[in-house]
Amino acid sequence: MSAQSAPLLLLLGLPFMQRALLAGLLSGALGGLLGSVAVLRQLSFFSDALGHSALLGITLGVLLGLDPTLVLVPFAVLFALLVNALVQRSRLSADALLNIIYSSSLAIAVLVLSRFPRAGGGLQQLLFGDILGVSWLDLGLMAAMLVVTVFGLVLNRRAQILLCVDEPLARSRGIAADRQRLLFVVALAVVVALSIKAVGVLLISAFVVIPASAARLLARSFSGYQLLASGLGALGAVLGLLASAAFNLPSGPSVVLVQLLGFLLAVLVSACGRSGPAATAGWPGRDG
Amino acid sequence: MGETILEVSHLSVCRGGQPVVEDVSFALSAETDTALVGPNGAGKSTLVQALLGLIPRQGGSVRLLGQELGPRGQLPVAVRDQIAYLPQLFAPTGPLPLTVAEFVALGGVPWRQRRQAVARALALCGCQGLERRLLSELSAGQLKRVLLAFCVVRPRRVLVLDEAQAGLDAQAAEQFHNLLFDLRRSQGWTILQVSHDLDMVRRSCDRVLCLNRRLRCQGAPAQALTPPQLERLYGKGFVPYAHHHHSVQP
Repeated sequence: MSAQSAPLLLLLGLPFMQRALLAGLLSGALGGLLGSVAVLRQLSFFSDALGHSALLGITLGVLLGLDPTLVLVPFAVLFALLVNALVQRSRLSADALLNIIYSSSLAIAVLVLSRFPRAGGGLQQLLFGDILGVSWLDLGLMAAMLVVTVFGLVLNRRAQILLCVDEPLARSRGIAADRQRLLFVVALAVVVALSIKAVGVLLISAFVVIPASAARLLARSFSGYQLLASGLGALGAVLGLLASAAFNLPSGPSVVLVQLLGFLLAVLVSACGRSGPAATAGWPGRDG
Repeated sequence: MGETILEVSHLSVCRGGQPVVEDVSFALSAETDTALVGPNGAGKSTLVQALLGLIPRQGGSVRLLGQELGPRGQLPVAVRDQIAYLPQLFAPTGPLPLTVAEFVALGGVPWRQRRQAVARALALCGCQGLERRLLSELSAGQLKRVLLAFCVVRPRRVLVLDEAQAGLDAQAAEQFHNLLFDLRRSQGWTILQVSHDLDMVRRSCDRVLCLNRRLRCQGAPAQALTPPQLERLYGKGFVPYAHHHHSVQP
């Protein structure tokens, strides 16, 4: 046993580290799963906006003296509904509108926190996450959300896939695109709110976007894509946390860095695959 | 005159507060092929989207297969299942991890019958061997055929196509047109297609609707697509573009 692995094994025996690993596993799987749809429906910027704006929710919780987790979920859902309604009605492009909203929310939150130095003392943890501070309540909520998300995605599988492919086509099949978008945005808001403590305001969108983007490059079917996105998210989170514990690095950035390495590997594998025979296969139709 | 499949009465549609389609009325009989022609911006795509309930209408009524289209585009599932729509700009952007077989199955078949139904639909549309290919790996012509397979994976009665041949080269467009012609006969479809290919319209459509915000004329192609009518529809000096087809079906 190496000198470095002995303290790591000791750390793994500690309850806070076990909770952290479970939190990483759950938030990584959730981020990957919802990210698989968000990336294809071009809603990944939405998760970024939700994450950044969550700081405003946390600020509210701190000012009101409430548990941030309890404030953050309803805040994120309300915020998501409001932003969704604005994006639907505005004549501005969604990315411009989201940028205005999230940068303003972040600015307001930081300004308010700067007026209350005691409340803003943990700003770095809020921005980059404190996975070691995850409680059993947080874990229970994340596990429940994972079950709800899987159930929701299975129930709405046809609608979600068709909306990823082409919205007019989906609508022509009787799919209520607006309702589906709303359901998805609410689920994304809840997951972002639950994962903020572990991942941090600035890095949450990486949990949604990076594993799904890597899976998008590698997967050869939609079912495989969702499983791979979820698996890569969970694996990246666990490996990142272990690296963080082993080398005494901040947890959130470590996880994102591992996810980035996974993404770069996926780019490489995908580039090698594209030059293979499948990419040049001809049209086997009757008259082509 | 066969059964009336689609009945549009005084339909008006606005976009961004501006009228795009005004007071349009027409009816389609069963198993006929009708083309909707007109210049760019004439409201053709808006009209087909409104009569399928994909966008709201400001006035008028639409009856599809005997059912009134609701004010918010609602149709009974049993009726909607009999109508297929091929959108104008159907092209996945970026890698889309969805196989042809997965996509065609989403056309609406029970889970247990999906393998057989998908294989049958792909064979009908000349897409054998594409099952495991990803949608984003297909050429424009293949994509159109797969989209048709999505439509035929279950029995339909009405097919609405919005510039189905857009983005295809002359050969692929001709192949797609021939396939559509065969399927229309074998499946007994009633077709309404938006088209800019007046040559194809003359050769294979039973009727033509000439739209430029309002319905300017309608009837058999030989009567509706005369030079004076076309000039009135497209403007003075209009010279119809003649497509060169490699094979012509009767």
